Amino acid sequence: MCQKAFGSIGAVLVSVPVDRLAWTRGAPATFHSSAPVARGFCAACGTPLFMLEDDYGVIEMAVCTLDDPAAAPPRHQVGVESKIPWTDGLPGLPGRTTDNDRTPEDLARLKSLQHPDHDTEHWP
Amino acid sequence: MSERLSGGCQCGAVRYEITGPLEGPHICHCRMCQKAFGNFFAALVGTRREHFRFTRGTPGIFKSSSVVERGFCGQCGTPLTFAYVDSPRIAVSIGSLDHPEQVTPENQYGIESRHPAFSLLHSLPGSRTEDDVPPERLARFKSRQHPDHD
Repeated sequence: MCQKAFGSIGAVLVSVPVDRLAWTRGAPATFHSSAPVARGFCAACGTPLFMLEDDYGVIEMAVCTLDDPAAAPPRHQVGVESKIPWTDGLPGLPGRTTDNDRTPEDLARLKSLQHPDHDTEHWP
Repeated sequence: MSERLSGGCQCGAVRYEITGPLEGPHICHCRMCQKAFGNFFAALVGTRREHFRFTRGTPGIFKSSSVVERGFCGQCGTPLTFAYVDSPRIAVSIGSLDHPEQVTPENQYGIESRHPAFSLLHSLPGSRTEDDVPPERLARFKSRQHPDHD
């Protein structure tokens, strides 16, 4: 279910007590992927944001939506019965940097409309 | 590979099919793919637009840059597509395919933004869902996810 919700090999999540999370701008949309579990996402761009079980007391935030995603490295993996077989081979794939793949003209043309990794007074 | 592949979002409001050759399955670590997918990277596979169509619903679109549109389900949020606006190709998120195990990424891009924990993931201790969740709790989780077929 995390694979489909995140369109990926899984979800990377970190738990925080529900009462320690505040939405500082906007409010997420939710989809109940099962009766007790709500999954939150941005209705304007789709970014998956959290998973919340109704009586769990913690909210599980998508680590890479943090402005500093390196702050919460995962420590274990769950749901391994559904792990996609090629998952563990990913780090061994040949890798390239964005600069290697894009001409300077391409990069100049690409103007990011993504929110920066820090709070803003006004956006966009 | 040129057989038909199907996929869609978690809630099933948006479904798609690919009926032509796949191109360039890969993962992208760039910060924009990380944020769009709320994840370490985006896993994507391309095809020509004429081999791709939505079979149910239409996605929401967020233009993440001046040249790229990202499609997602407006009802459940699943990231679905990535396309340069002027490209004859479109990519789908491999995890939204009904059978993601059939499409193995071949390259990784944007490695300048690779998350420091990414290369350690395979070494993390793992557990199965039934080992972590007591049977009476598991019984409450009646899935509302669309099944992995049309």
